[in-house]
Amino acid sequence: MSSVEKQAIFRDVPGFVPKRPSFGQKIWRSRADYLYVAPAILVMLVVIAYPIYYTIELSFFNTPASLSLADKQFNGIDNYVTILTSPVFWKVTWQTIVWTVLSTFFAFLLGLGAALALHREFVGRALLRGLLLIPWVISAVAASYVWKWLYHSDFGAIGAALVQLGITDRPINFIDNSTSALYSLIVVNVWKEFSFAMIMLMAGLQTVPDSLLRAAQVDGANPWQRFWHVTFPHLSGVSTVTILLLVVQNFNSFIIPFIMTGGGPVGSTQIWITHIYELAFLRQRWGVGAAYAVLLFIIMMTLGYFYVRALTRGDESRAGA
Amino acid sequence: MAQVVLKDLVKTYGSVYAAKDVSLTVNDGEFVALVGPSGCGKTTTLNLVAGLIPITSGDIVIGDRIVNDLDPKDRDIAMVFQNYALYPQKTVFQNLAFPLMMRKLPKDEIDRKVREAAKVLDITHLLERKPRELSGGQQQRVALGRALVRDPAVFLMDEPLSNLDAKLRVQMRSEIKRFHQDLNATIIYVTHDQLEAVTMADKMAVMNGGLLQQYDTPANVFANPVNMFVASFVGSPAMSLVPLELSSSNGQSALTSAEGWSLPLSERNARKVAGASSNKVVLGARHSTINLHKTQMPGTVPARVYTVEPTGDITFVQAFLAGAIVNISLPPSVVVAPDEQVWLEFDQDRIHLFDGQTEMALRAD
Amino acid sequence: MTSETVNSAEPVRVARRRGIDGWRWAGRIFLTLLVGFTIMPMFWMVITSLKTGFAAMQYPPQWWPASPTLDNYWRLLDPNGSVGRDFLRYFWNSMFVSVATTVLAVLVAVPAAYAFSRFRFPGRNFLFFAILLRNMFPAVVFLVPLFILMRVLGLVNTHGSLILTYLTFGLPLAIWLLKGFYDNIPIQLEQAARIDGATRFQAFFHIVMPLSTPGIIATSIYSFIGAWNEYIYAYTFLTRHDQMTLPVGIQRFFSENATDWPGLMAATFLMSVPVVVLFLVLQKYFVRALTEGAVKH
Repeated sequence: MSSVEKQAIFRDVPGFVPKRPSFGQKIWRSRADYLYVAPAILVMLVVIAYPIYYTIELSFFNTPASLSLADKQFNGIDNYVTILTSPVFWKVTWQTIVWTVLSTFFAFLLGLGAALALHREFVGRALLRGLLLIPWVISAVAASYVWKWLYHSDFGAIGAALVQLGITDRPINFIDNSTSALYSLIVVNVWKEFSFAMIMLMAGLQTVPDSLLRAAQVDGANPWQRFWHVTFPHLSGVSTVTILLLVVQNFNSFIIPFIMTGGGPVGSTQIWITHIYELAFLRQRWGVGAAYAVLLFIIMMTLGYFYVRALTRGDESRAGA
Repeated sequence: MAQVVLKDLVKTYGSVYAAKDVSLTVNDGEFVALVGPSGCGKTTTLNLVAGLIPITSGDIVIGDRIVNDLDPKDRDIAMVFQNYALYPQKTVFQNLAFPLMMRKLPKDEIDRKVREAAKVLDITHLLERKPRELSGGQQQRVALGRALVRDPAVFLMDEPLSNLDAKLRVQMRSEIKRFHQDLNATIIYVTHDQLEAVTMADKMAVMNGGLLQQYDTPANVFANPVNMFVASFVGSPAMSLVPLELSSSNGQSALTSAEGWSLPLSERNARKVAGASSNKVVLGARHSTINLHKTQMPGTVPARVYTVEPTGDITFVQAFLAGAIVNISLPPSVVVAPDEQVWLEFDQDRIHLFDGQTEMALRAD
Repeated sequence: MTSETVNSAEPVRVARRRGIDGWRWAGRIFLTLLVGFTIMPMFWMVITSLKTGFAAMQYPPQWWPASPTLDNYWRLLDPNGSVGRDFLRYFWNSMFVSVATTVLAVLVAVPAAYAFSRFRFPGRNFLFFAILLRNMFPAVVFLVPLFILMRVLGLVNTHGSLILTYLTFGLPLAIWLLKGFYDNIPIQLEQAARIDGATRFQAFFHIVMPLSTPGIIATSIYSFIGAWNEYIYAYTFLTRHDQMTLPVGIQRFFSENATDWPGLMAATFLMSVPVVVLFLVLQKYFVRALTEGAVKH
């Protein structure tokens, strides 16, 4: 019989000794897979790895204003010492924290409210969702100009409306006043990004099983209890990702303060990124700017760790050949 | 059609064996079921045959070719997937035509073959629909059609019935069996449901933990399970397994329980237990081979009724015997109640004996 | 046993408690206020853009323009006027940079995302995390080194510098979004195709690509909007007027003298039109893509 002969032939073939492939062998076996990612990796190497390396290097040097690299001088950790001993650093950091925390908190809160209100099917729901998302898609530059005009100290619509409604006697100086400027900008920022939280949480709400909500209803839970015991725990994953993304986004904000107030008045709306920009590009203190960027890098890596972890949960469990 | 030979097939993920030294021969025209609990390596084995995952070592022969290094497309196989894997953006016709299109057949021939297959499976009226517009059973037929249209050497089926409801599953089961008989097709069929394997397959390969446990006809597997795993996996309700101790007095071997009773063994069974590696022996018996008595009789052992499940023509009883649960079937005329004391009689010619250490069946040779 | 049930007394009909649905009303009121908050600035942008400079600078403001005019728009869109010429140039610059970025990002991201979704090659996780992490960093970190890099490559003051730079944030996002889509396409479809006689590439091309069209559309919108709205790099890399994109252009344009608010509002309106239209038309793809990766089923 042919099958028996065949099997006999097999025995004569030099036997395979099973052993775990080495790392090098694994790479070699996957060589075709790398072709798919090679173009992306190449672009990322040039425009990401190199700049990060370069920024770290620059942070240990004193580089002339002309950015003439041949004349840069090594000065150890002087740039870092300069930053950490400067009173401006602490002021800017505090403002950055206020900006980030308040923006994130209110954007998430409004987004959650909107997501819950829009979760029920009703006529015009898609339209409303689209409308609420517009601030998020238009450019921050456009938004900044529009709000700057709304906040205008003489002809601003908000100030005038408050006077006409009898709430204040005179138009409020929203952004030309160091006590209210930061909070006024936070309103703009929340306006711009709350719908991002909304859309993420709307998707999260769709994963809440109806059967669980019905079970809770049968068990006698009122709407608030149903939200707190069923809906909210289901949103924890997507909430984590959303809040992390909002924190990162807010920490990295630039356009709104830069265009609306330029960090003023008297530095009251200066946050990390606008401050770094000012140090590097307006005052040409490249080394200090780079050192700031490295500190930022460290903070972001920490946040990034949690971001990646939250984002890739369950990724490994998916099928793959 | 062709035969398939698996020779010392190994698949590892890191240091974990998904399939270990699997060797079996599927003869031309044979219907073989790979069966086992989830994670036993049956789907891995099927995917290795299909070429969807690379083998770590061993050989796969389809027809007269060693196909280890061939792409799936060159192995002359067709596969039916658990979730059918119908291309959602294509109509039923386009789904059936796709394998032929990939082989660059002329258009009129594709059309002819697709209609032929559709006719065989009675899906001609569905040809212009999209998969999502079909019921589960219809999707199943389209998936079969897509395999059939190719006229492949081997059909591979990965739990094709598990997404259907119970009634449809029984119906499709007989249709696939019919399909096999009409085409005289070589089929390798993966299922976790031993009943599907027993009812449909010419031979069944029982797998567990990546290892092939037993490969034989369903009747032989049922009658002579090689170890406790196969014994408990094949058959429903499962074979009852009662761990006992081997004792002998006056040259007479017996199985004794911690409760104090003992069951003398026949001469043939005594020869079997002589090969046990220790005095731990497991008694196995199928539900239909155990007699239930309401009073103590010679050769019976005491048990206590746990549950009673009348199904109409048969009543299934579970009872505690020496700490283990035993399944017994009774005619409905016999009425027992939970917690009732009963006596069980085992048919010495039809009990199974297993080595309590190695879990292997004890044989009388 | 008997199948009858015995009622000892007449059943009592219990009235359903019907309170006002407070939660539903709270939701409606909240939503109304939120819509007002969202629309108000856009509304005022449009109203202002329909006024003359004189009408805009009044206190109290004209809540509705006394004599609405489209002059601001005509001025911006007049290719013969100096204002219109510059504005239209910025507009086309933005369009070119955004489209080029989008096409390149999708072309490079499609194979990469597919590989990250399907293959398990050594270093996969590291590379994927590295790519994801890119979006954690603000533009400012990359500004100086990229500026130097562009100087070395001779790309300063060219659109090439922007396109290359925009890829740094467009690409990671595109890869992440597309991977989310590929993850949701059952791998059995490709396996079926490969058994049906397709090569890996054919399986990708005939089966996966058509199924991921929504993902590609969504990714394209994202890349486009991201590039269209980008400000810092354009502001830093471009110093020549004829190269500028809209966000930078309109700024330089209107702050030279006293600000022409109605003109600026008209310009921000026109600048927002392409992204808002694109977004509203393709909203469902856009929303799905964003949430795909974040919400695992």
